[in-house]
Amino acid sequence: MTHPVINLEKVWKIYKVGTKEVTALQGLSLKIEKGKFVSIQGPSGSGKSTAMNMVGCLDKPSKGRILLDGKDISQMSESRLAQIRGKKIGFIFQSFNLIPTLTAMENITLPMMFQGIPQDERIKRAKMLLEKVDLGDRLGHKPTELSGGQQQRVAIARALVNDPEVILADEPTGNLDSKTGVNVMEFLKKLHTEDNKTIVMVTHDPSLSRFADRVVYILDGKLTDKSKT
Amino acid sequence: MISKENFSYATKNLMNRKLRSALTIISIFVGISTIFIFVSFGLGLFTYINDISSDIGTDKLIVQARGIGAPGSDDTFRLEESDIETLEKTRGVENAAAMAFTGAEVEKGDQTKYVYVVSLPVEDKDDLDLSMSLMTVDLMEGRNLDKGDDSRVVLGYRYTLENGVFRKPSGLGDKFTINDQDFTIVGIFEEIGNPSDDSNIYITEDAYKELTEDDNINYAMILAQVDDVSRIEEIRERAKKNMRKDRGLEEGKEDFFIQSAAQLIESFAIVLNIVVGFIILIAVISVVVSAINTANTMFTSILERTKEIGILKAIGAQNMEILTVFLLESSILGFLAGIIGIIVGVSLSYMGGVILDNLGWGFLKPSFPLVLFIGCLVFATLVGTISGMIPAFNASRQKPVDSLRYE
Repeated sequence: MTHPVINLEKVWKIYKVGTKEVTALQGLSLKIEKGKFVSIQGPSGSGKSTAMNMVGCLDKPSKGRILLDGKDISQMSESRLAQIRGKKIGFIFQSFNLIPTLTAMENITLPMMFQGIPQDERIKRAKMLLEKVDLGDRLGHKPTELSGGQQQRVAIARALVNDPEVILADEPTGNLDSKTGVNVMEFLKKLHTEDNKTIVMVTHDPSLSRFADRVVYILDGKLTDKSKT
Repeated sequence: MISKENFSYATKNLMNRKLRSALTIISIFVGISTIFIFVSFGLGLFTYINDISSDIGTDKLIVQARGIGAPGSDDTFRLEESDIETLEKTRGVENAAAMAFTGAEVEKGDQTKYVYVVSLPVEDKDDLDLSMSLMTVDLMEGRNLDKGDDSRVVLGYRYTLENGVFRKPSGLGDKFTINDQDFTIVGIFEEIGNPSDDSNIYITEDAYKELTEDDNINYAMILAQVDDVSRIEEIRERAKKNMRKDRGLEEGKEDFFIQSAAQLIESFAIVLNIVVGFIILIAVISVVVSAINTANTMFTSILERTKEIGILKAIGAQNMEILTVFLLESSILGFLAGIIGIIVGVSLSYMGGVILDNLGWGFLKPSFPLVLFIGCLVFATLVGTISGMIPAFNASRQKPVDSLRYE
């Protein structure tokens, strides 16, 4: 059996909203093996984004354990989690989340800066990745000077710079037209098949299931029976 | 850790908010400039006071009558010839000399002016030397008054200037009238540095008596030289006692006061300290207000960039890096405000000094020691850093998941 790169063990997330408690995850258990392309699907408010935040070390569970590469990260300090995020996880967001004041090149070099990679190496890697996403001629452009598809490709390049084990994509096509969306998905699929990257994608679009080799459904903070394991 | 990248990222962020950064810088630099200007003038004044104190010397006592208005102008309390004699008889006093002054009408050509006429004790060379020690300046041209120079005068510096006192500059040998008496100029003093003193006319005591039609001069002050500086306080008490006895006054009800030159200088310095200190306090308050303004700018900036902070954290930025970036931004604002504040401060102080000098207030010279530049720059940068601390700390503590959700 393949070694699970991500293992969520009975994870609960309870938020306090005023005096009320809202349970976003109810004992969610999920194993994601290395090299898999997993799509997490579910309706709005189902808890899929919360699950994604847990997997991405952006949030800590109220109960349960999260193991990344066998290590329990659920109780790690914020600084340690930041290090793990920078090294092991690459994020792709629905709204691209590029820093608007920086150029494409600077946006891509930023995660490497936080890992202490020397400047020469940063520039070399950033150029190589921008070539890979067909934006070699857009190095000095700011996000506002790029189309949605181009911005998402810059975001994908940024997610790849530190050669992470896991790529987390949160509604990666949500802000793109269908044609550009398909291009982005094909690029992610290529990363999965050619570079053997583990990809976890959150989406509410069932049509994107075809790109994944495993689809899990979340409803009311739990996996449903429909989930293919 | 402050890296080149953090610095360049912080600078970029400030450049993207040019107007807001500029307004924050202005609010800090105005305070810094004000502090710089007043400290530079304050230091200049202290230097001037120190110069005077070394010119007058520490071995002198200054006696003045208590009264209203300028010394010697109030006739209720007088200092007279008999007081000089009392002082001279006091043990420890080597010599005593007095100066008087009065307003007089001076005519030259078709112009009439009202200026102060000062009496000099020319009958005794030692008395003249003693009173001259109070002048702090030397003669620029000609000679000082001598015995029998009752129709001669020595003038202040401003008489040599065109439109200084009279339209035309005066020189040695020129004549003019004081209260309808004719006088000839035999000497001119160097510049003292304030228009009033530099417009004085100096005459002999005999000429003064004739001018005021009073044989008993009401002196503005008596200067007494002591024989032992280390016992000056003891001599001062003795002189006070003698004068009190001579004038038939009870202790504590003296109508005169005696100060050592050092005390006089010290009392000037205290007043100066209070005035300069008060103005600097106001300037510091304005800097504190601008620090609050800077904190507000940083809070606003952090609120606007909540999502950006979330993104930075998502891609691996640690709390310390976020803290560094925001602290750098506020420190850069403070540093730039310091640089501009110093440039503006130096320019205004320098220009102010030149203008005051042209107006005859040459003693009001700003002083620019290196420590003032460094102090203002460090202070401004610290103001920026401290005002950015709480906002930067808040920014660094934001949860990435909440920040990313912020719209």
